Amino acid sequence: MNGVNVVNGTHAMSKTTGTHDSTFSALREQLQRAAAAFAGGPDALEEILLGMVDDVDRAVHEPLEIFPVCHHSPASALAMARRLREKQPKVVYLELCEDMAPLLTELRNCRLPVAVQAFAGDVDGFPREWAPLSVVAPVTEASAEYQAIAYALDTPGVELVLVDRSADHVFQWDLRDGRTARKADGAPDASADKAPEAEAALHGEAVGVEIGDLRPRFAELEKHLLRHGKVRHWSEWWHQYVEVPLGTGDHDTYRQVMFLIGSLFRRLAPGDVGRLRVDEDRERYMWTRIREHLTATGTDPEDCLYVCGAFHAVSRVEEFGLHGTTGTFRIPPRTGTTWQYGLIPSSHAAIEAQFGLAPGSVSIAATEWAKALRRTGVQPYRLTGQAGAKKPSAKKSPAPKPRGGQAAVPAQEPPAGDRLSGFLRRPPVLDALDEAELLGWSVDIVRAARRNGYLASTADAIAVFETSILLAGMRDRVKPTPYDFQDAAVTCIEKDTVPGRRDVRRLVEIMMGGDRVGQVGYEALPPLARDVYDRLAPLGLKLQQRTVQRALLDMASRPELRACSDVLWLLRRLMPHGAARPIMGERRLGERSIQESWDLALGKHQRALIELGYEGVSLEQVLEQRLRREAYGPQATVATVLAAVEDALLYLDNHRLADELGTHALKVLATERSVDGAPEVLRRIRGLLTYYRTNEPALPSWIESFSKTGYAHYCTLLPVAFRDEDATVGQVAAMLGFLFSMEGLALSLGCDRAQLELAVAQSHPEDPSKTALLWAAQVQLGTLSRAELRSRCDALLDNPLVVPAYPRYLSGFVHALEPVPGLADMVVEAVSNAFGRLPDAVLLPWLPLLITTLRSSAAELAPLLIREAGRLFPGRLADLDAWVPPWRMPRTPPAARRTRPAEHGRRGVALLPAHPATCDAVAELLGCPQGWTQADIPSPSGAGLLAAHPATCDAVADLLGCDDPWAASGSSPSGAALTARHPATAKALAALLART
Amino acid sequence: MSDLLRAPAEIKYAEELDWLESIDTNPKPFSWRLSPKMVRLFILGSEPSDGLDREIPRKWFGDRSFVERAIVTLASDRGLLLIGDPGTGKSWLAELLAAAICRNSTLVVQGTAGTTEDHIKYSWNVSMVIAKGQSRESMIPSPIMTAMETGAIGRFEELTRATSDVQDALISILSEKYISVPELESSGSDNIVFAKPGFSIIATANSRDRGVNDLSSALKRRFNFVRIPVVTNKKSEAEIVRFRTEELLRRHAIDLEVPPTLLDVLLQSFADLRASAAAAGSDDEKLESALSTAEQIGVLEDAVLHSNFFGERTLTARTLASSLVGSLARREPEDLAILNKYLHGVVEPRSKEEGGHWTEFLEGGRDAIATLS
Repeated sequence: MNGVNVVNGTHAMSKTTGTHDSTFSALREQLQRAAAAFAGGPDALEEILLGMVDDVDRAVHEPLEIFPVCHHSPASALAMARRLREKQPKVVYLELCEDMAPLLTELRNCRLPVAVQAFAGDVDGFPREWAPLSVVAPVTEASAEYQAIAYALDTPGVELVLVDRSADHVFQWDLRDGRTARKADGAPDASADKAPEAEAALHGEAVGVEIGDLRPRFAELEKHLLRHGKVRHWSEWWHQYVEVPLGTGDHDTYRQVMFLIGSLFRRLAPGDVGRLRVDEDRERYMWTRIREHLTATGTDPEDCLYVCGAFHAVSRVEEFGLHGTTGTFRIPPRTGTTWQYGLIPSSHAAIEAQFGLAPGSVSIAATEWAKALRRTGVQPYRLTGQAGAKKPSAKKSPAPKPRGGQAAVPAQEPPAGDRLSGFLRRPPVLDALDEAELLGWSVDIVRAARRNGYLASTADAIAVFETSILLAGMRDRVKPTPYDFQDAAVTCIEKDTVPGRRDVRRLVEIMMGGDRVGQVGYEALPPLARDVYDRLAPLGLKLQQRTVQRALLDMASRPELRACSDVLWLLRRLMPHGAARPIMGERRLGERSIQESWDLALGKHQRALIELGYEGVSLEQVLEQRLRREAYGPQATVATVLAAVEDALLYLDNHRLADELGTHALKVLATERSVDGAPEVLRRIRGLLTYYRTNEPALPSWIESFSKTGYAHYCTLLPVAFRDEDATVGQVAAMLGFLFSMEGLALSLGCDRAQLELAVAQSHPEDPSKTALLWAAQVQLGTLSRAELRSRCDALLDNPLVVPAYPRYLSGFVHALEPVPGLADMVVEAVSNAFGRLPDAVLLPWLPLLITTLRSSAAELAPLLIREAGRLFPGRLADLDAWVPPWRMPRTPPAARRTRPAEHGRRGVALLPAHPATCDAVAELLGCPQGWTQADIPSPSGAGLLAAHPATCDAVADLLGCDDPWAASGSSPSGAALTARHPATAKALAALLART
Repeated sequence: MSDLLRAPAEIKYAEELDWLESIDTNPKPFSWRLSPKMVRLFILGSEPSDGLDREIPRKWFGDRSFVERAIVTLASDRGLLLIGDPGTGKSWLAELLAAAICRNSTLVVQGTAGTTEDHIKYSWNVSMVIAKGQSRESMIPSPIMTAMETGAIGRFEELTRATSDVQDALISILSEKYISVPELESSGSDNIVFAKPGFSIIATANSRDRGVNDLSSALKRRFNFVRIPVVTNKKSEAEIVRFRTEELLRRHAIDLEVPPTLLDVLLQSFADLRASAAAAGSDDEKLESALSTAEQIGVLEDAVLHSNFFGERTLTARTLASSLVGSLARREPEDLAILNKYLHGVVEPRSKEEGGHWTEFLEGGRDAIATLS
């Protein structure tokens, strides 16, 4: 038996038919006759039919027992549990990525389903755009592989050997075959038209690997099988035609039937060439590994069990079997990529979505598994301490039989006889109607429907029950399957609208076991995730739960929560949106809240947290790495580097890192030639400066150099930016903002203001908005007066050719508020003038633009503008009528202004003699000792003047027609004669003189 | 058969139904003429694996489970309500079901705003009443009542078009399964019409009419709803269109071939228009038409008839395009604008890329739009 030569490919195998005549000869003859009857002679059909028998024959007689499985098949799991109890193998070879082995023991700390993940953030040897690479292998409880794992890990002296290619090879062989990024191993998603639910996306972008992928590989065959099985999808077909009949079968029947199915799919349609090539290489790989292990350990093949998918169990590669060809297949070395391993939570929905199974099929498999266990009394294996499961079996289950007492297992089992003929000839096994179960379902679904807003009643339960049986009858089965029941429930309960969140179909799915979401236990988490849970422990929340948890942190009363707050902010920075969401409280440079409240959904985002764990051992380390990567990346700009500096201060409070990154920012600045990031740079550097000034005794040296270098850098770029069509006005404004606001610091550090003045002088923008910006800059520098600016604006409005462009000038002025905030009143004036004087044809189209501009690009400038407008405009409506804008006020000449105090002075002079006491007091205070002058003594005041200014007097005399010469200056009062002669003139003169 | 413009299904497929009945050995519920499996076979057609001596063509194209659920409902206590967009084949399925189950698909009440309770229950032959008084002879039974009396399937088309009080007359019929006639004397059972076994009701409702006359929850409870979706699978849609068009051509006795490539053009254009309707934000941005399969058949029929009587007796893409525009442009500015956009945005690039029928299709569409606007 052991020496069967069955490895020479298809052709050779058809010649081996004679070898095991004793076992399958009857079947073979029958098939030959059938082939002859249907195809009329030996041809492809006969080759296929007989080839299938050959395949089964060969697999059955392989000295290393092969255990074929199908994924998510309770029948496989059941047969596996039975076989393990019976055979008690010492070594179990399992078709699973070999590098995932160390993780399997951690499964006991998790609530299934979870997925074993291999993850590589940085790739070496693969195209860069493939990163990050991720392979997941989901494990459910109702699966044969879990039975094998649980048996092997919990039975002393049993070794579990994973023999499939490593995660690295999964991608290596993709690369080799020229495939690009793959999403899943499975067939095209049956539920692709449905919106993916959160649970279905648990695996993220990972590539799935699964044991026992067994499904027809060409669509026509599957369609044919579905049509004839009168079922809707593959899972249902499998359930009805394989699961149910095999559920009660013995081990040999199970094996032979599975081999047969694997062979059928393989022979009829092995799938596309690339896929088959990968499959065959995997088979070579696995057999190579098995033989290596056997040789190395010297284990007797009789004590081993090889668990693999039925498809691989009937492989026809030359390396197949213990006695297959050796040395023809070389396991390629892995690439340089470093792989990280971990467990991530999975869910039934995620598995269904990833492997293209019908929605609900994995849940139904889980229910069937539980039922089958009850019915058959088989004791399943389960890892001790397995979380999240009922425990009865753990207590009751007898310890696995010691290896010594293996009387039940004959060391040399004779190969089983032909069980296929009987199986194939048997009529379809029909499950007996389980009335009580169906009634229970009917009542439950009505209750569930009522809870979800449906108007369902007992009458509906009766109708569902009846309809299920009728539907099953139409589909040639006595017992309604869960799928029949689902159809019946939809027919009877679903009306024209769905009242709640879930429709009846979904309710049935939930009822039939629902989606189960796995959870990775604390012990199985990577150090980072454990660290996060530890550090958040003071919050006293059950963070493992999948619900959103509200955390309230009052740091004033509980200062120890400050550390928790730090962790939460880090999580918010590193985790996907929604994992940690602050409801109240914020953190900015130099600011932290004393009270915070958070919505935490760490349980829901456990995968993200675990994947974070692949990057480092603590959140701080991961963030530091990421910041470094961002800052030193080839795409890094000054703005991104400064953002990294800010994050380093904000989240890590790491001044060493901040200084290092800041120094790097200087280098990046020196190489940057565009001004795209100027607004961002300005915002960040201002924030950092404010932070350092308020929190540090001295500015770090990098920020001083940055100011200096930045000043020179932006001065150099300014003239270009003014002319460059690609540089927006906002960017240029930000540059000016940098220059003006850093000026003080930069000048104190030795920069020269002339540089800026020159740069502004060299700027000759063509764009109106930039021109306005330049004018504003000139005003700030003092090279343009406000009056000149005002007249320029007026000129623009007066010139009908320029008026249409006026709004763009205005937009420039609005942006100018950033570098020159003092110009706010001018901007208000300019905008008001625009409203007042622009023609509607220009004004109206511009208004929406103004609003959107203010909203989007100048959001922080709007308050300034509004405040200034509030100051200038009257506060009440009534005042508006009488209001004259300040810029329209008639400008009173300076001379006129000076007369007013004179008048007032006169009035004051009159007051002084009226209140002499006050005046005396003031004089005394001022230290003025002179007494009052005698105002009432008539002094010849006018006469004195006349004498002092004879020319004036002559002129006046001429005017008055007085030709008398000057009287000789003697004793006679000269003027007196005149005044006596011309009394009227004298009076007028007196009045005049008195006024001066 | 030939003297009927449109023969009901039971006459059209009489021979096939007879044959199926003769070979049917499965148990039949009530007084059904065929067993549920045979009804399914009749509607969905046979396959070689069914082992029948003759081939039964497929008559309704859609998911198998819809048909199964519908048949099972009729075998149960409840009425069947087929709900879906216009043109999804609800009435056709109802007719086939009635024909297969009781060989009578003509017991139909058409729901309209003017439907009264008399149409559902009974009315009186006034002259007979004057002559003989109120008796069973002078009573005019409604189709539903006739169905009850004979144990057949009654059909109620467009249930939601009838007013709520009329709809509610069905409640007692569906739950008590009798109609009492209070005008008749209570002696004997003359004043009550009991339903015979096998009676059930198939109603159809248009999901676009939702909100016009909503069903009461009491009535909803007495119906099982089967929602018939719009066919979006291109392959099965092609089958439907081909099947129905052949039937129409046969009915009109027109000998004209529909080239498969042209059929593809039609299907593709409908698929494009549906996609654009799905992406549209408001009603103004999508065509008023539901773009159902029936609409496609209508377009094709129109084009066939046009080319048969006015054209060169061959179907061209140009005729197809003008018939498409003619059938779908219902609102003057909006629909025409959408079609124009479609022609220029989708068909024009495609005609440049693929040429063939698309070029002709584009020209025909442009001409039709130019004529209409």
